[in-house]
Amino acid sequence: MLSWLQRFKDEIGDGYVLGPVRVAIGALLGWHALTAAEELEQLGYFGDVFHVPMVPEALVPSHSLYAVLLALRVVLAVMVMFGVWARPALGMSAVLGLWLLLCDRLQFHHNRYSLFCYAFLLAFTPCDRSWRATESPVPEPRTGPFWAVRLAQVQISIVYLASGGSKLLDPDWRSGLVLADRISRHAHLAVAAGVPRKLVDLLAEPDAASALAKLAIMSELVICAALWIKPTRVVALWWGVWFHIAIQLTTKVETFTLLTLAMYGVYATPDYHARTLRFDPSRFWGKTAGAFVPIFDWLGRFEVKPWEPDDQPGHSVVVVRRDGERVTGVRAFAMIARSLPILFPFWAPLALVASFTRQGDLSSAS
Amino acid sequence: MWVATQIALVITADRRPDAAFGFRMFSESSTVKIALYREVTLDDEAKREGKPSRVHVDDGVWTARDASGTSHRHAWTERVRRQALATFDTEINAKYAVNGQLARLQAALDDVAAHVPDDVETKRFLLDVTVRKNGREPYVVHLASREAGGS
Repeated sequence: MLSWLQRFKDEIGDGYVLGPVRVAIGALLGWHALTAAEELEQLGYFGDVFHVPMVPEALVPSHSLYAVLLALRVVLAVMVMFGVWARPALGMSAVLGLWLLLCDRLQFHHNRYSLFCYAFLLAFTPCDRSWRATESPVPEPRTGPFWAVRLAQVQISIVYLASGGSKLLDPDWRSGLVLADRISRHAHLAVAAGVPRKLVDLLAEPDAASALAKLAIMSELVICAALWIKPTRVVALWWGVWFHIAIQLTTKVETFTLLTLAMYGVYATPDYHARTLRFDPSRFWGKTAGAFVPIFDWLGRFEVKPWEPDDQPGHSVVVVRRDGERVTGVRAFAMIARSLPILFPFWAPLALVASFTRQGDLSSAS
Repeated sequence: MWVATQIALVITADRRPDAAFGFRMFSESSTVKIALYREVTLDDEAKREGKPSRVHVDDGVWTARDASGTSHRHAWTERVRRQALATFDTEINAKYAVNGQLARLQAALDDVAAHVPDDVETKRFLLDVTVRKNGREPYVVHLASREAGGS
């Protein structure tokens, strides 16, 4: 246990993967600050009307100070996004956001609180070493202490455990009563959005809703644990992506889906360009991969290099994995899908297909 | 310390009506329908006419006299701006579950009662909240403000 704690405290990692996470968190911080500013304009200053402070009223800012704080939050969010004093800006954004949440319980939302928790933890990580608008005048190493990254991972698990655990302990949730009622009350919206009426009716059936509820509870609890086990982590992340996409499509959750998906970035192994993608620029698929992968390789997974064109038949794309193994064809595509966030939702079916084929590159197989 | 704090907040979430800091996402599928009433002071004539002392407030707007007898128009939304607490006689989602909604409505009632100095007619504000918890049969919760008495 002591050695584990020591390792936790002393771990150093490459901060490149945290750059896109920081940018996404900055965008969400900015979005929430602008939403609060819009509310200020439409509803007026919350302190002048009914509000429920969790802190003494003396700590609630005045109207003018509140307006200044909102403007400051927007500025800090922009700094976070562009990597300008990003870590202090993250910390200050989190503290300001939490303070204002404590000033009015009516503005409390779990996703907002989660956002400020993640922003606070991210402030202690080397998240400012990549994805920034300007380079530091003094060259900095891209590596830094990773203990706060592990804490952020713990925080994500706590959210899943609390959410899934409370549902598990609630007989109404366990039996599917909550989901059945939710589905039947929002059926008209789903149908209007193009979901077949028969499917909606089926899901609102007690048995189907009960099964769906158990699946949702199990998903949250399994993801919570599976994220900590190396062989199951990628599957948990993939399942989590679709779980949150499904929630986003069926429920109003503010920015909760984006927040959680962005925070999944903290599970990426911190190994910049540890894989190599070689492509044949004379072939369509090779050229496509050579252009597409560098644009969407937000986590810095691949070193992308073209092959020297020659007359020999070969592969359009070859991926040299972290372990040195070379993969081509569907297996290479599955590897790319696993590493690029934008293709990650398609990773599992591709990996399944890839597990059945060892023919190499499809384009050259013919 | 961070982890201990978070776990403590999650474990104690039940002690807070809205389960704040407890990450209880989508904990219920409940609805509420809120009806606002004023409990008014009746003069002798009104009593003789058999007027009720409990008056329904349409759309959260009412007219009442001040101490000098001048009529004033009042609106619930002058104090309570959030839609979830200011939508009357229509079934709406219970944001943050029934307990959280009821706690906020009670606080809103007390706040309104404390901020109507130009209304000497209203003794108390009342809310009849028809609750439908997770699709079950509805039941009514009666909430009453403190004595109205200006700010």
